[in-house]
Amino acid sequence: MALLRLGPGPAPGRRRSVSGVSGVSGVSGLVGRYSAWAVGAVAVAAMVFPMVVSDYWIDVAVFWGIYVLLGLSLNIIVGEVGLFDMGHMAFFAIGSYTTAILSGRFGISLWLLLPLSGIVAGLAGYVLARPIIHLRGDYLLIVTIGLNEMIRISLLNNPWGLTGGPNGIIMLDQFRIFGLVIQKPMHFYYLVWACVAASMFALVRLQRSRIGRAWNCIREDEVAAEAMGIDVRSAKLLAFTLGAGLAGATGTIFAAKLVVISPESFTFMESVILFCIVVLGGMGSIPGVVLGSAAMLVLPEILRNFAQYRMLFFGAAMALMMIFRPQGLWPSKRWTTKLQEGESE
Amino acid sequence: MRGCRSRLCLVFLVMVLGLGLGTSAFAAKEPIRIGLQAPITGQWAYEGEMALNCVQIVADEINAKGGVLGRPIEIVPGDDQCSPKQSALVAQRMLSEKVVAVIGTYGSSVTEPAATIYERAGLLNIAYGSTAEQLTAHGWKFFFRTCFRDDRQGAFFAQFVNETLKLKRVAILHDNTTFAKGLAEAARRSLEQAKKAEIVFYDAVTPGERDFTPVLSRMQATKPEVVYYTGYYPEAGLIIRQMRDLGSKAVFVGGNAAINDEFISIAGLEIAKGALMTQEPMPTDLRYPEAKPFLDEYVRRHKAPPSSPWPVYAADALKVIAAAIEATKSTDSKVLADYIRNRMKDLPGITGPISFDDAGDREGAIYLAYEVTADGKFKPYQP
Repeated sequence: MALLRLGPGPAPGRRRSVSGVSGVSGVSGLVGRYSAWAVGAVAVAAMVFPMVVSDYWIDVAVFWGIYVLLGLSLNIIVGEVGLFDMGHMAFFAIGSYTTAILSGRFGISLWLLLPLSGIVAGLAGYVLARPIIHLRGDYLLIVTIGLNEMIRISLLNNPWGLTGGPNGIIMLDQFRIFGLVIQKPMHFYYLVWACVAASMFALVRLQRSRIGRAWNCIREDEVAAEAMGIDVRSAKLLAFTLGAGLAGATGTIFAAKLVVISPESFTFMESVILFCIVVLGGMGSIPGVVLGSAAMLVLPEILRNFAQYRMLFFGAAMALMMIFRPQGLWPSKRWTTKLQEGESE
Repeated sequence: MRGCRSRLCLVFLVMVLGLGLGTSAFAAKEPIRIGLQAPITGQWAYEGEMALNCVQIVADEINAKGGVLGRPIEIVPGDDQCSPKQSALVAQRMLSEKVVAVIGTYGSSVTEPAATIYERAGLLNIAYGSTAEQLTAHGWKFFFRTCFRDDRQGAFFAQFVNETLKLKRVAILHDNTTFAKGLAEAARRSLEQAKKAEIVFYDAVTPGERDFTPVLSRMQATKPEVVYYTGYYPEAGLIIRQMRDLGSKAVFVGGNAAINDEFISIAGLEIAKGALMTQEPMPTDLRYPEAKPFLDEYVRRHKAPPSSPWPVYAADALKVIAAAIEATKSTDSKVLADYIRNRMKDLPGITGPISFDDAGDREGAIYLAYEVTADGKFKPYQP
């Protein structure tokens, strides 16, 4: 209930649930129906989890959380607005390197760098997307693949001796709270999932706002959106900038966790994995991102016992998944209802 | 009295069990688990696969002789896909698998996150394919590597010029990439220290360009007798070609990034013939007593020798760990690391005698000079 009460500002949730389009995403739908119980149970489970499993599984959960954050950031671009971005790792890389460079050279605190890296990556996203934002579908996709490779190769070439080339940069600093250094897997676990919770809360709110509805409208029909008076170009740019910014901020956590930042972490393959997370989870669905990243990250870890064949099993699982559940693991609610009932606003 | 009798019973039981399990004497004993972190899937899968093969051969060999401290060795593989993220996960997994020590991994920036985790947990780890200098600059206590640091190749080049070629005027070219520049710097340092040859030219070219004649004619004016190019093979092929076009007779030496069949096809066999390359010896060119039986066994099992220099260093890492356990009668990483750092001296390995310096780097510099033969092959250089 708590979440719902904090709910939509300009468009009251009640009106929408009357018209049958209950909630905007799975999360709010869930909260609406099962009230705080489900959310509370998940939260308690998440709090208790690291106390009962080994450090290894906590670390798996840490990387899962990092990929949820990345998935959420890409979901803004791919899921909400329908812009095909398959080079999202570029912004993650910019954020990570910003953190590593500024922390290494100027000793800036990581808490400050968290938003700062987000801003730098967001700016980069704005500048890079501005000239290409009018491209549609697969054309945009190809250009973003190019962006990803450009950034990665520039990092490899060690411009002005900043990035350390293929060997990367070593992070010496860590997050600190009141003298406690965040270093153990369990510390990182709480840091990462707190960030996930905060981002999810903000994104659910954003999804229901005027901006979020404008984005969805563009995704469904760009011409109609324009006819309704939505500034399509700036709405798209805003999505790209926000998505890049969130990915960049995640880069700070990633840099602190991995200790070394090198171009190998930002390959095209990783961008594809992110894209898969969004598609697999269900385009535009926030809980879908959580499930999608579990499938992409936790599944290969479970399959580790198959050694050389684990990627084979993983690929097979992906293929089956797309055959039997093409709409995603947890499809976005509005997507399905809207097609049946038409536009309600 | 009771306690004594039950202990006797226990001893008797163990003996019966030992006999009962027959041929393999240590079957009842708990194995010593040693981790191997390597890229078993992904882009560098062939490297990881070969490392696993190499390590398995050494483990089988040790087990056939009765194991270490009478216990068999068990290899626990961990696949890191040559990705720093996976590497951190594998490292955590190794800790929960309760391994005694870890071999690995391949790739310097992949080793860094894992080695950090091992260091914090105090677990002995020996890298086999991570050559970046920065790794041993942390003052880590539990990190070693059986491969050689990048700058050792530069030291080898200096030694090769001074003692084998006996030439005096050296030109060094790099391409400003981290690796090539590092190697060029290392070669310059070593030459300056030896004070036998003079560096007459030191500059960089831009990779991807086609015409290097401006740089090369400036170089030509300084009359070098030997030219060392530390960059990659596409430029190396063009440089030797354009050097010869300008009339230079200097000996061309490439670094290990230039040794590739493409070099010969770009330069043309006529020009490439006689060019030299410095490189880690390929497994088949190793001339140490341990190498031959090992390679024979490898070929018997897998039909062909390892096609990269690195996997055999993983085999040597296992030899180091096994020797340390045997000598100290301990599986405590602290004791083992102390032994390896301070007391291990010239352990006979497949890649030559193994000892380590205080930082954890392997001592010596085992490189070879390769020559392009008249039929377009790379063969170890014989003066």
